[in-house]
Amino acid sequence: MASPTTFKLQRVETRVGPVALVTMDNGEDWQKPNTFGEEALRSLAATLERLHAGDWRGLVLTGKPFVFAVGADMDEFGGITPERAREGGRAGHELFGRLRDLPFLTLAAINGAAVGGGVEIALHCDYRTISSSVRHFACPEVFLGLIPGWGGTQLLPRLIGADEAVRFIVENPLRQNRMLTGTQAFEAGYADDLLEPVEFLDQSLALLLARIEEGGGKRQPAADLSDIAEVCRKARARLDGQVHGAAPAPYRALGLIEGAATWSLEDGYRAEENALAELLPGPQAQASLYAFTLVERRAKRGVGVPEAEPRRIGKVGIVGAGLMARQLALLALRRLEVPIVLRDLTQEQVDDAISWIRDELDELVRKGRLGEGKARFLGSLASGGTAWDVFAGCDLVLEAVFEEMVVKKEVFAELERVVSPECVLATNTSSLSVTEMGAELEHPERVVGMHFFNPVAVLPLVELVRTPRTDDVTLATAWTVTGKLRKRGVLVRDAPAFVVNRVLSRTTTVLMDALEHGNTVEETDEAVLRLGLPMAPSVLLQMVGPRVANHVLHTLHEAYPDRFPTFSTLDTFAAGGDEIVVREHAPRTVDEIHDAVLEATADEVAHILEEGVVAEAADVDTCLILGAGYPFWLGGITKHLDQTGVSQRVVGRPFARLAAAPA
Amino acid sequence: MRQLREVAYVDGVRTAFGRAGPDGIFWKTRADDMAVKVVRELLRRNPQLPPERIDDVVYAATAQVGDQGLTLGRDVALLAGLPKTVPGFAVDRMCAGALTATTAGAGEIVMGAADVVLVGGVEHMGHHPMGEDVDFNPRFVAERIVDDSAAVMGQTAENLHDAFPHLTREDADAFAVESQRKAARAWDDGVMDEIVVPMSVFTDDGWTVAARDQFLRPDTTMEALAGLRTPFRAGGRVTAGNSAGLTDGATAALIASEEAAAELGLEPKMRLVAFAYAGVEPELMGLGPVPATKRVLEQAELAMDDIGLFELNEPFAVQVLTWCDGVGVAPDDPRLNPYGGAIACGHPLAATGVRLMAQLAHGLRERPDVRYGLTALCIGLGMGAAVLWENLQNGG
Repeated sequence: MASPTTFKLQRVETRVGPVALVTMDNGEDWQKPNTFGEEALRSLAATLERLHAGDWRGLVLTGKPFVFAVGADMDEFGGITPERAREGGRAGHELFGRLRDLPFLTLAAINGAAVGGGVEIALHCDYRTISSSVRHFACPEVFLGLIPGWGGTQLLPRLIGADEAVRFIVENPLRQNRMLTGTQAFEAGYADDLLEPVEFLDQSLALLLARIEEGGGKRQPAADLSDIAEVCRKARARLDGQVHGAAPAPYRALGLIEGAATWSLEDGYRAEENALAELLPGPQAQASLYAFTLVERRAKRGVGVPEAEPRRIGKVGIVGAGLMARQLALLALRRLEVPIVLRDLTQEQVDDAISWIRDELDELVRKGRLGEGKARFLGSLASGGTAWDVFAGCDLVLEAVFEEMVVKKEVFAELERVVSPECVLATNTSSLSVTEMGAELEHPERVVGMHFFNPVAVLPLVELVRTPRTDDVTLATAWTVTGKLRKRGVLVRDAPAFVVNRVLSRTTTVLMDALEHGNTVEETDEAVLRLGLPMAPSVLLQMVGPRVANHVLHTLHEAYPDRFPTFSTLDTFAAGGDEIVVREHAPRTVDEIHDAVLEATADEVAHILEEGVVAEAADVDTCLILGAGYPFWLGGITKHLDQTGVSQRVVGRPFARLAAAPA
Repeated sequence: MRQLREVAYVDGVRTAFGRAGPDGIFWKTRADDMAVKVVRELLRRNPQLPPERIDDVVYAATAQVGDQGLTLGRDVALLAGLPKTVPGFAVDRMCAGALTATTAGAGEIVMGAADVVLVGGVEHMGHHPMGEDVDFNPRFVAERIVDDSAAVMGQTAENLHDAFPHLTREDADAFAVESQRKAARAWDDGVMDEIVVPMSVFTDDGWTVAARDQFLRPDTTMEALAGLRTPFRAGGRVTAGNSAGLTDGATAALIASEEAAAELGLEPKMRLVAFAYAGVEPELMGLGPVPATKRVLEQAELAMDDIGLFELNEPFAVQVLTWCDGVGVAPDDPRLNPYGGAIACGHPLAATGVRLMAQLAHGLRERPDVRYGLTALCIGLGMGAAVLWENLQNGG
């Protein structure tokens, strides 16, 4: 963990007299950003003493190079009591309030990432400058089941108005934790000046001196908040449609923002403390902290990466030219920048895929995300044909053909004839046995599963499937490629449908069963949406395609017929029909379906762990967050199952015996 | 037919000079960032100059590695945000780096190859100790091409005391005390505020502003200096007190053809009259400015009496004293280093030339009666440089 942040005070003699230059610095490089733990707050208290005592004419508060501050130290949040949460809120309010009360002009020079408490400390200064190099300016607390509780909900509306405050505090965090750049933050009114990074601090200091000389005095931002009730009402309605009441934090945040219009700042601080005391020890926040640790630390590091030296990838083959194959080819092209060859049955299919890839590259150019010359070069790297020998010289071939074992085995057999014995053969199968796929090969040790999720550009998970014969070099190569594609790998054993599709299919069995017992699609959707999942199951089914979903279910049925029955309804959907086959009219309540989904999920996770498909419950959670978009506040799913007692009831024990998140 | 053109010095600035090493104020600041700072300040102070009118950036460093290693003129131009159409290159003549950058740029202007040239130098001696990564050819020693002592500047200074035994440690210390006193007065009088650009720098104690030279010792005395040890030789005469410390600093200046200066509304302060570089015995490196001064006066057909101000570098007090001896100027001549010198402010090798020019330009403004001024310094491996300037700030 990072060292505690120190507030380092330097005296700078200027033409207006002594100015305090305070640097937040934890003594580490930019990869370990400044956080505000208990020790940091003690350092701030000591520095504030000196600031209140001195002959200062002004203050500039800034961060160490590339980082302003990223807020509270989340390592102090695990298992916190309501009392400690309230005290933590109060300590911040007291100190930030004293910063705000300094009898001279203060300026926050936001030189780098400013997140959460970092934004809030800046709000307690009279002026703010922001560097055009800043890429992370946000209050992500709601994303973590919290609220910005060090004055953020009170000062932000006063500074930037109701509409923008709601967007910043509530809506951005729920849009995949969207953060603002320095330029965007300036344009939206968070900062008084946008400065180039090259002389950022010098110019920030110059701005403060100019303001001191103008003699305008302290500032009290007072945006017009007459529209706040209406803004919050509309935001609440949008929120209902999005999280279905599953997470309390965004609703609490809206209430606090609305209160800012009438409360005194002190009243607002108390309200934030109340919210923290309730939310921080609460299930959603605790689950979010667990999820955050999983995604930002555990999955970033990768669990199970073999020691072996990965192979260099100089040419990549994609078998197939369909939707998935194209997406994979485009991703590999952009991230690996090596020649990519596609192969399909007709030249038309291949040509169509290549022109699709070039169009996508052109689109990136239009959006300004890719240079024209670079796009032309990348486009030139994509080629393909109908003959197998296009794959000659490939270091990795990823197949994305029809989900049929015979077809896949044929593909691998053909590939082995044209590639070197070291070439990694990867399959994007969503449910078939990777082991069997490579069983008849001369070199089955170079076969590995790399299961991507649709849409490839959005979902960051890759299930890396190791068969009993996969060697370390092959797996290490798959890990490295996954990282270069900017995806997160989770190592799974070769078992039907791996993790994500297996858990989702188990949910599908519950929903199909309800439909065949007379429940409506609206009811089954609602039963799942109230967990706060991003997409209704019926919509997800259409996106994945009923045929694919049914195929996965049948694969699972063959392996586990008791837990994975097949359904005539899904068979009908897969065949293009839309008729629900009601076997018996005995509908259940939405609550009952909801409970049944959770219980089935708990049961399936227990089986997955028993079989050793993944090493830990944490891996299941990582898969669901990164591969199925499960929200942080469920902690994947096992945290929620533990918190609600479902795992105890179904499995006989919680999935996590310890409250602390795995490091 | 080609017309040769006059070259004018327009403006020059520098960073504060810091002590080299972990306790120095620039320890955590990159050399090229220091250069960028002075370049940007120069442009800010001369807003009449459209940046795209800069035809070349000539930038000097002795250690052309690491944060001084990427063809500085171009590297600094890009980092400072100059238009990408502005080219640049790097020069090295050790301590005469910035003067050489100036005379090289002047050559471009005289030829009509450029109208406006940005020149300067940087030396982060904390990041790049003298002789870093240098692979001395063994022939230097094996064939006695130079004396062993030639590679260590402090020893060449001791050699000067040996060669000119009438120049004593007391003379050197007295000169050093006076240099510190004059520098302190220059700071008090606001002279340095016009030349030194404050720069915020990150340190272990947080961000701070480097605004003042770290070697200033305004209260130093003969007694204090007499107690200092002589690091280069037991019983020697050269001490930390009568020489310039190892320094981090950067400088930049604008030079232009007089026509371009007039066209752009830049205010020329000095006209380049002549320049000369000379070689001497490497182990008596400090003698270099004597022949260089003589040659530059010959070129201009002037005598020492015609020169009203001298800005001489002070790597070692004894080095200045030998120049005084050699050209017939008293060490306490008021024309010599009126704002103190490197003993008080430090000597960041390749950066120093522009500091001398900036101080000379300031001095010439204070003294409109003076027509000519000289900037000169000695150079490692036995060289000297002298550049002669004419005052353009005399109400003309």
